[in-house]
Amino acid sequence: MSEAEIRKEQEVIEQSKKNPKAFGEIYETYFDRIYNYLYRQTDDEELAGDLCSQTFVNALNHLGKYEFRGFPFSAWLYKIAGNEVNKHYRKNKGKKVFSIEELKVKELVEQSDEGWDEELITQVINYMNELPTDMVQVLELRFFEDKDFKEIAFILDMTESGAKMRTYRALDKLRTQFNIKVKYNG
Amino acid sequence: MGKHEIRMRRQRLTARGTDRFKNYGAVLKQHEEEKRMKKIVRVFTFFLLILVVIILIVIVNRWEKKAKEKKLPVTSYQLKVSASGEVNG
Repeated sequence: MSEAEIRKEQEVIEQSKKNPKAFGEIYETYFDRIYNYLYRQTDDEELAGDLCSQTFVNALNHLGKYEFRGFPFSAWLYKIAGNEVNKHYRKNKGKKVFSIEELKVKELVEQSDEGWDEELITQVINYMNELPTDMVQVLELRFFEDKDFKEIAFILDMTESGAKMRTYRALDKLRTQFNIKVKYNG
Repeated sequence: MGKHEIRMRRQRLTARGTDRFKNYGAVLKQHEEEKRMKKIVRVFTFFLLILVVIILIVIVNRWEKKAKEKKLPVTSYQLKVSASGEVNG
């Protein structure tokens, strides 16, 4: 996101503080991204839709408290969405779900199409199942949402070095355990 | 083992799929309702607080009044006894 875009977004947010109807522009811009993020963490379309609406309602309710901290507004929305998902799982005492697109995993791992078989996919899933949940969250934001570490740290309430450390550890294990090349190097 | 479950899916999410959940009017309506409820709760809390303060003032006043009544000063009488032996208060 360019500086000019961020500035324009801030203007819309300042307008929205006085007139909530102006927030519709932000809603249109970020709805799909927030919905997909929530869908990946629930694997349930209806639930993702409900949580997405609640995310935007909460954002509107607390817009007066929002302060620009150098991140795009979406980082704040991701943070609220993450809190909504956590609240849902806490309330229902269920196991957190990460629904990941096979294609995205294939993009992450540099493997020829022939090299991909069901067994390797199952192994990668098993490996990711064994990772701590916070590590999977960092990986998800880094590779499936294309967020930088600074933004990830803000969204997940952790330090930037903590986010980096979790990513590198997970990727190193992936490289050594499966003897595969991971596209991402830094 | 983490407290999560990884599921791999083959199909990608499309913008068309998310459209049926998109409704800014409903979001705005819910926001207005929550804002109104918040206002009502705030006003109710304010009046409740004032009521508590008034009740406290009344209780303190009554307690002070009772404490004053208990501490009535000892009144002294001057008795005059006339020469004939009559006592006048």
